[in-house]
Amino acid sequence: MDTTSPAVFVNGALLRRYIGQKVRAVIQVIRSEIGSVVGKSTDDQQIVVKGSPQPPLTSYLEVIGIAESDNTIRAEVWTNFGDSFDAQNYNELCKLANGEFRHLFI
Amino acid sequence: MFSSSQFEPNSAFSGGGFMSSQAYESSSSTAKNREFQGLVPVTVKQITECFQSGGEKSGLVINGISLTNVSLVGLVCDKDDSKVTEVRFTLDDGTGRIDCKRWVNETFDAREMESVRDGTYVRLNGHLKTFQGKTQLLVFSVRPIMDFNEVTFHYIECIHFYSQNSESKGQQAGDVTQSVNTTFQGGSNTNQAVPLNPVVSSQNDGNGRKNLDDMILDYLKQPACTARQQGIHIDEIAQQLKIPKNKLEGVIQSLEGDGLIYSTIDEYHFKHVEL
Repeated sequence: MDTTSPAVFVNGALLRRYIGQKVRAVIQVIRSEIGSVVGKSTDDQQIVVKGSPQPPLTSYLEVIGIAESDNTIRAEVWTNFGDSFDAQNYNELCKLANGEFRHLFI
Repeated sequence: MFSSSQFEPNSAFSGGGFMSSQAYESSSSTAKNREFQGLVPVTVKQITECFQSGGEKSGLVINGISLTNVSLVGLVCDKDDSKVTEVRFTLDDGTGRIDCKRWVNETFDAREMESVRDGTYVRLNGHLKTFQGKTQLLVFSVRPIMDFNEVTFHYIECIHFYSQNSESKGQQAGDVTQSVNTTFQGGSNTNQAVPLNPVVSSQNDGNGRKNLDDMILDYLKQPACTARQQGIHIDEIAQQLKIPKNKLEGVIQSLEGDGLIYSTIDEYHFKHVEL
């Protein structure tokens, strides 16, 4: 990772709060195109992630990168998160990490 | 688990001088403050933050607990295994970065480190150390993560540990510490003054949350209850407060140990101590 700034946990709804900042999100891959991946965030919103990950891709991907708009992330780091991932848990974590327990993360 | 022999000398000194003021906030948790040998899940942010406020001499203190062993989950970066006996890398867990060092003395260690590459998510268990102003982690266990629900789990565990310890600074919610409280009561008389502290701080606990102790005490303090000579049976308390009896039992024991209630005609009837 070239930037050392912390990455905020986001889901679809929280992404718009951090435009221009480093974020991390787990998305469920819907389809992958050249130069980007279209996925579903943990709260069922469509997110486009720009970049080219290394194939093969698993169903869930974690992307860490800069939020470009309220539904786009320009990814720097891609991590395969496997095929069985509890998106609901992660979604709740996003809410907590941005709410009451923010200071533990950012 | 907490040896009382470790405990008494500290209390004899009244916790003064040696321990920080946290000793007064919580008596039975001073055992916890002194040497919490367990593994605490933390984020790198928590480590860097607490170090800045504590300073080297006090050791690392997070939420009033002096930590040494921590558990972290994050991505490995800048792995440097040029030295034969030592592997260094940086762990980035999304909240910050921390330098890690792993001594490799046996083949087991070497094999463990081989599977760790840059960009691998790992679970680390290690010992926090400060060296020349920098915080470092001396890692004794590294495991690549296979199921990524562990990542979610780790952060939730950090939140859980943090919230459990900050809401019960004086009054322990956990059963372990309650039992430490009661066994401690059986100890020497010099310790008498100290255990009252958690009681005081819990009564002054201003966060508005009605905990079980307060609910039981409030119930027993009612004139209708204090008037009854034989006290109130625990079943009745459970019924009135609509709380299962097994939950009450531990709390009643600690209230009794603290001298707030006493048993009357038998071990199931209790009355509030009127001062």
